[in-house]
Amino acid sequence: MEKLSFKEIDNTVAATLDPPGRFYWTVIGLLFCGILVGAFCWAWQIMVGIGAGGQNSPVNWGTYLINFVFWVGIAHSGTLISAILYLLRAEWRNPIARAAETMTVFAVCTAGLFPFIHLGRVWMVYYMLPIPNDRTLWPNFQSPLMFDVVAIGTYLIVSVLFWYTGMLPDLAAIRDRASGTRKKVFSVLSLGWTGRFEQWRHYSRGYLLFAALATPLVISVHSVVSWDFALGVIPGWHTTIFAPYFVAGAIHSGLAMVLTLMIPMRRIFGAQRIITMHVLESVAKTIVFTGLIVGFAYGTEYFIAWYSRNSVEMEVFTFRSAGDFTLSYWIMVVCNSMVPLLFFFRRIRTSIVWLFGISILVNIGMWFERFVIIISSVAHDFLPNAWGQYAPTAIEYGIMLGSFSLFFFLFFLFVKHLPAISMTEMKELQHQGMTHE
Amino acid sequence: MDRRTFLKLAGMGSLAFASACTLENEKNLYSLVRIQDDMVSGEAAWYASTCRQCPAGCGVIAKNREGRVIKLEGNPLHPVNKGKLCIRGQAAVQEVYHPDRLQKPLIRQNNTWKTMDYDEAVSLLAQKTRKAAARGQNRVRMLTGIEGDVRLNLFQRSLDSWGSRAPTVFEPFSHENLRAANQSVFGVNGIPSYRIEDSDVLAGFGADFCETWLSPVEYSRKFKQMHAFAEGGKGRFFHVSPWRGITGANSDAWISCAPDTESVICLGLIKRILKENRAGNIPEQAGRQIRKIAEPFDREKVIEISGIEPDLYDLLSESLLQAKKPLVIGTAAPGRDLHALQANAAVNLLNYLLDPDLGKIDFTRRHRAEKAATHAEILSFFRDLESDPADVVFLNNVNPVYAFAGQKGIKEPLEQSGSFVACFSNFMDETAQCADLVFPVSLALESWDEYGAYPGLLSLCQPAMKPLNGAPSVTEVFLRIAPKAAENRETAREELIFQVQQNHGIDDEKTWLDALSRGGLFDKASRRESGAENPGLQDGFKDSFSDFEISGTEESPQISVLPSVRFFDGRSANLPWVCEIPDPVTQVAWQSPVLVHPATARDMGIEDGDMVSITSSNGEISAPAYKSSDIHPGVLGLQAGQGHTEYGRYAKGQGANPFALFSVKSSPLSGTALYETRDLQVEAAGMQQKLASTAGSLDPHGRKIALTVSVDELLEPEGEKKHGLAMHDFPLTLPLPEGYDEQRDFYPPHDHEDYRWAMAVDLDRCIGCSACAAACYAENNLAVAGEEQIINGREMSWLHIERYWQIEDPGKSVFLPMLCQHCDNAPCESVCPVYAPHHSKEGLNNQIYNRCIGTRFCAQNCPYKVRRFNWFDWKWPEPLNLQLNPDVTVRSKGVMEKCSFCVQRIKQAHGRAKNEDRKIEDGEVTPACVQTCPTDALVFGSLMDSASRVSQMVKDRRAYQVMGYLNTKPAVIYLKKVVHAV
Repeated sequence: MEKLSFKEIDNTVAATLDPPGRFYWTVIGLLFCGILVGAFCWAWQIMVGIGAGGQNSPVNWGTYLINFVFWVGIAHSGTLISAILYLLRAEWRNPIARAAETMTVFAVCTAGLFPFIHLGRVWMVYYMLPIPNDRTLWPNFQSPLMFDVVAIGTYLIVSVLFWYTGMLPDLAAIRDRASGTRKKVFSVLSLGWTGRFEQWRHYSRGYLLFAALATPLVISVHSVVSWDFALGVIPGWHTTIFAPYFVAGAIHSGLAMVLTLMIPMRRIFGAQRIITMHVLESVAKTIVFTGLIVGFAYGTEYFIAWYSRNSVEMEVFTFRSAGDFTLSYWIMVVCNSMVPLLFFFRRIRTSIVWLFGISILVNIGMWFERFVIIISSVAHDFLPNAWGQYAPTAIEYGIMLGSFSLFFFLFFLFVKHLPAISMTEMKELQHQGMTHE
Repeated sequence: MDRRTFLKLAGMGSLAFASACTLENEKNLYSLVRIQDDMVSGEAAWYASTCRQCPAGCGVIAKNREGRVIKLEGNPLHPVNKGKLCIRGQAAVQEVYHPDRLQKPLIRQNNTWKTMDYDEAVSLLAQKTRKAAARGQNRVRMLTGIEGDVRLNLFQRSLDSWGSRAPTVFEPFSHENLRAANQSVFGVNGIPSYRIEDSDVLAGFGADFCETWLSPVEYSRKFKQMHAFAEGGKGRFFHVSPWRGITGANSDAWISCAPDTESVICLGLIKRILKENRAGNIPEQAGRQIRKIAEPFDREKVIEISGIEPDLYDLLSESLLQAKKPLVIGTAAPGRDLHALQANAAVNLLNYLLDPDLGKIDFTRRHRAEKAATHAEILSFFRDLESDPADVVFLNNVNPVYAFAGQKGIKEPLEQSGSFVACFSNFMDETAQCADLVFPVSLALESWDEYGAYPGLLSLCQPAMKPLNGAPSVTEVFLRIAPKAAENRETAREELIFQVQQNHGIDDEKTWLDALSRGGLFDKASRRESGAENPGLQDGFKDSFSDFEISGTEESPQISVLPSVRFFDGRSANLPWVCEIPDPVTQVAWQSPVLVHPATARDMGIEDGDMVSITSSNGEISAPAYKSSDIHPGVLGLQAGQGHTEYGRYAKGQGANPFALFSVKSSPLSGTALYETRDLQVEAAGMQQKLASTAGSLDPHGRKIALTVSVDELLEPEGEKKHGLAMHDFPLTLPLPEGYDEQRDFYPPHDHEDYRWAMAVDLDRCIGCSACAAACYAENNLAVAGEEQIINGREMSWLHIERYWQIEDPGKSVFLPMLCQHCDNAPCESVCPVYAPHHSKEGLNNQIYNRCIGTRFCAQNCPYKVRRFNWFDWKWPEPLNLQLNPDVTVRSKGVMEKCSFCVQRIKQAHGRAKNEDRKIEDGEVTPACVQTCPTDALVFGSLMDSASRVSQMVKDRRAYQVMGYLNTKPAVIYLKKVVHAV
């Protein structure tokens, strides 16, 4: 690794907080418009009814739950990078850990919106909270959707705490450089961090603790999300492979999103010396690994359908790859399990263009994975007479645009207002590098 | 103030007060201050009446809640329908509250419509008829739909008093070929009753008795008496027709033949019977004559001309030969069979040969539909009108402009002849558009009338509610405009009582009130008049076959008008439920696709949903194609009834009207109508229309959904059998504690309190008529989603007739009523986060609308796909909302709903039982669908009562649960359809 002085690190990172240029404002403005479009579409849907979307009988779930699973999946690799790789002492994670964790928080927030958007009567959503009432009506904890509420809620809380704890020393560093209002704000945010030895000791213990707490969540949250489907009786859903399959898929998509975010970021902020090619290459290698798991899972599903000799299962899987949703299915297979294999070639995984292009393709592929799972199974489930079709409507596309806009909007705000790269951990990395020599 | 001023003021004041008060329609149907004697708010009053949706004349009882009729049910005492109604009968109540129903008479002035008061309109009519009568003979003409004797008599007397001819009775489905054939063979120009129930082999040559033929509810019931599995087997039924339809789907073999060749097949059968000397005891000369007619039709020729399967032809002839009690019935009314007369005459001869006494044909119980004029007479009515315009033309409840859409000379005389055309119609239909005065009269449910479908049968109509718009009935209009005919009777009730006294011998108040409360006098009609003998063979029968030539090589493709259980002759096409409930065979709602055999479609290069444009010299229609192997190759079939150019928002512009392609001329031989299409051209229009189909796949994919079993298998003794747990072999697991197995179940059984409601569905009895679905719409306030939303897959039916078709094995074509299965181990219940689907103490799977937040997980997880989501706030355009059942919540957007087993009826029974301190008895609760099923395919009751009918039925060896291998333990238990190994 290239040597960087602590000062260089501080300057590079702090430079991201400089007043933005016209390009930034344009992008922020466009994203805000995107959010407004989404908000309008949602408001319209609340007014008119869920029928504004394309859901129907039998396909009662559409893009809202696809996007929900998609964004929860994106969230996962953030935690993987910031927590699991921290515990595993994978040093290449340090430069991207902060951005990845931020991605987690915002992706969970975005994902968390979708169950609300999806509801037929969102104004009654508080029925899902265990509020004591004189009719002793409680939520049904048998329902996978209640699992979801608990899992996503926990995940959001832990992620936010982990993210914020990790940021404390950096917030103090900004505070020390800042003046005026920013200084006041950061004084409050940094919770009186002075960098004393006890504080560092508490900090590193706390960080480790949160990392340990977040680690099982990576596995559990997406397992729980997968049970939304696997606990149903629907062919194509009702299978034990779903939890690991979803977790692998989630990390796969999350890593791709990390690349999608990091590559422009290092370019824009000139952070090539911090987020080095080595870091990106390591992410790409991990994508090869998760891509292989995902590809294996696709194969397993077909094998089990065939091996079970269950005609309902067999029909659903034939339908997936050769029915009305053939295109979606093959986009999913090619983008998720074949394209990432290109990263076996060093030339490709060290080329910024290839990295960026493939990361986008994996993102698209993972979206279609959720599309295929959620739509095609119910479109052709048990009762042949009820078989149907599904296509999203403009309202759904509008809400989808809104969700992507919201995510990137929040991320853009983040890079201009908070240290997007962990100065502390970069310095640790430098320090360790020095001692090892 | 002096005395004079005071008197002036008082006089002026009271005059002003009196003159300022005009009678207005009341805004409220009732107020608790002025309440009718028999109205208790919160409780229903039931009035017996007669359904007037078609000439069948079924008895109904109308449920009146707070002054409004909200539901019709069959009158259980009525001999025609025995408490059952068809889909159209169920939907009749929507006619009353139709948003496009005219509220005031409309008069045409300078080609715009102006409203006028009823009194004004009546005076206008009185004045016009008085003037017309003064001008000479036959200045008033009348065309009326078929009515009861009371009205027909009154019309006749009125026209008589104006010096004019009797009214012409117009029914588009006149069955005139049936009558002409009866005239020619048996010398009776009428329509007898067929005792289908007494036959063991029934062969129909197109008669669609499950759809529209004569009296569908009655004949469906009778058909199932001979064709439902009972001890020792079931009868056989063969349907010979180019179109399978509902009737053919219920046959043991649908014998597909080219159009117009039924006569040939029938003559072929006659030849075979004569050849094998199987004919009954008939005079020698008649035998010779019949033999001569049938001579040219040997087996090979019949097969060649008609294009039927040789095997099926042999099967049919063998079955008829071996039958002990065979019966053959004729052709469908809306077909366009050029040789329908010959076909029906041949059917008569065949019946005569098989049973010279005609024991299963009852000429004493003749159907009222025979009163309809022939199409030739109708055409001459209009021709006369053109050549010699009348002063006043009355049109009562007819729509000839629609029914003769392809015919020249129907619309023109009405529009141009200078006659004053008064149309008694509640809707601005095609014919009303041509009139000068459109007079909306009160409907059957709002007025005093009678309609008996059979001689001696008194079936009364009484107002089950006040006329919604205060309209007089057509009887009252005539009483007022024809004072001579009225003989001082002013109201329809007086006229009715007067005539009933005369014709039915009701002379005391008690008999009258009794008849009124029961719906009529029924015991008299059911007694068969002894001594009345069936007619024998007439000499003239051979005339029907003079010049009979048939080659079978007609142009291809041919157009065939198919009967529709939903639209009848087109008059039901404006009822939203009828449009919304898909056709049981095609499963297409709202549209009338062109049905085309897959092979023909391949030749023509068209796919499902391709618009096909069909042109003849008479008109042009275009409709989406629908590939179906239920139609003979080379035939394009279109169901009758849609394609209205007027007739309100639900009918206008929906589907296509096949009548537009035809012109009618009367046959020189018999005077019956011949339908012609000249210069027929069929081509793909190059556009697409998505079919509003509610069905996914026809094929059950071997998933153990709609099961059949052969008669032979059932006749063998049942062996002990241990069931596996796999898809190919699974046990019947009742939704009771005994249905639970520790090895198989994770959760313990439910404890049920006193009752465990369940339904048994006998697939052997279900004919797929969809009356149950319509009853459900009426009872449970189901929303009408409309064509667009059905295309989007958002129909709201709680009960849906699914059809599972096995083309290669017609015996395995099954109609399956699919409704919430009220599973004991319900997949929907466990996935809802807020317990909106809730398992009740009585085993019901209740959907708690107020608790539902709309995650739609339940619907996703339901293997039976019976849950319906409210995608929108559905609309009931006023005053359709007045029909809503106050006992059932109207669901708002965002909540899930589904079949509740009519929980409101269960609750009502609970109330009754509690008041009387007893338990609910078996049969006391009947959900709407069960109530109306014409063939008693559905039975409802409690499984905890071991004596209940459902408990008995689930012990049947035919009992199974749909996809029982999923271990959902459904409470809807199906009995396999029984098929003959053909």
